[in-house]
Amino acid sequence: MTNKKIIAIILGVMCFALSLGVVVQVRTIKSTDSTIGQNQEANALRDEILKYKERYDNRFKELETAEKTLEQERQEATKNNSELEQAQQKITEGNKITGMTEVTGPGVTITLTDGKGIATSTLNPSQLIVHDLDVLSVVNELINAGAEAISINDQRWVLTTAISCRGNTIDINEQRIGAPFVIKAIGLPEYLSGLERVGGYLEYMKQDGVSVKLEKSNNITIPKYSGVINFEYLKNVEE
Amino acid sequence: MKKGKITMIITIGIACFALVTVMMMQFKVVNETDITAIENMQETELKTELANWKTKYDEINAQYEEITQKIEEYKNDEKSNNEASKLVQEELEQTNTLLGLTDVHGEGIVITLKSGEDVTAISADDLLIMVNALKFAGAEAISINDERIINTTDIVDILDGSFIKINGQRILEPYVIKVIGNQSHMESAVTGNGGKVQELQTLGHTATIEKGDDIKIEKYNGEIETKYIE
Repeated sequence: MTNKKIIAIILGVMCFALSLGVVVQVRTIKSTDSTIGQNQEANALRDEILKYKERYDNRFKELETAEKTLEQERQEATKNNSELEQAQQKITEGNKITGMTEVTGPGVTITLTDGKGIATSTLNPSQLIVHDLDVLSVVNELINAGAEAISINDQRWVLTTAISCRGNTIDINEQRIGAPFVIKAIGLPEYLSGLERVGGYLEYMKQDGVSVKLEKSNNITIPKYSGVINFEYLKNVEE
Repeated sequence: MKKGKITMIITIGIACFALVTVMMMQFKVVNETDITAIENMQETELKTELANWKTKYDEINAQYEEITQKIEEYKNDEKSNNEASKLVQEELEQTNTLLGLTDVHGEGIVITLKSGEDVTAISADDLLIMVNALKFAGAEAISINDERIINTTDIVDILDGSFIKINGQRILEPYVIKVIGNQSHMESAVTGNGGKVQELQTLGHTATIEKGDDIKIEKYNGEIETKYIE
């Protein structure tokens, strides 16, 4: 009899927990739905965006494969001519520097997270937030410390990369990203970690209440640029 | 008695299974909705976002077609025993243009800056922010006092701001910033409210902008060496 009671109680508790879980989930979905389902036109736009995103992702993967094939073809075509071989090496090397191919190497990862401190009279709440200029300054210091490749939340830093503020988020390579900002850099880790020095920008940010983390690593991967650099106004001077 | 127990256990088992399945489904839906950052956007924002992705897709698609065509050309050259030299040279020139290793020209603007006499001198950060604003507006090539801005250019104050180094080279006032790009876009990127030129003028510095139909920007004159990227 007591055994039966215990089983009944356990089952009862289990059912209650499960039902509770379901209710919580249903409510969560309902609340997300309320923002999604505002009107049909906006929904159609969202669908369209997702469709283009997917098309972009697929094409991007195909592009990566095609670029590898091109490199093989180029190697094949230049292997019997030392002058051409040199040119082909310069192209391959150049593509790594300009951000057109994925690269790996030793370096550091810097993570910047908005501060959680309570704004006091001495601490401006805006100081707790990572700003566009903070990211710009960190990139500039990394280059100064010899960084050869940099990415911010996997957006590769290329010739035309600009960082701009857009409310609570920032735009990099026309891509909207938000905190935490994960900045990866390839270079000599000992030099790159010098950014933590006293009087450096990272220390300045820490004083402002921003959370800063720097980690050295022997194996950092930085992706290729997600876009294409096209010149509309610029021409090479004919020699 | 025994039969009743088994029936009860089976019933409860099925009920639990059903509940867990529903929960899993719900978790999945919640996860999927979380992936997209677009759920809270308003209609106008969504339109911009859509235009953005369309452009990005078109660009990447055009690039894909260009690469595919190059692959074909290399293959054809092999078949006909042509020298691939023309193709390689073309590719090398493209790479060098991106690296900033070629002299370039085109329409754009020239900004000239000189620090005011009784105010804190123009700093490396001022130049860094100016370059960033120009890039954001679509600048295709920039140089400051003929130091070409490449993707690994740093702009730093040396000795507490007594002078500025760009690409490791010391530069002196006046700062002449040459920019190639759409003239009106370049101009509006640095003028108007919040524009860097405007800001420097307000602080008491001299800042002038000149438009040019054919601005020449010299190539980066150092060696771009890499030791760590693979």
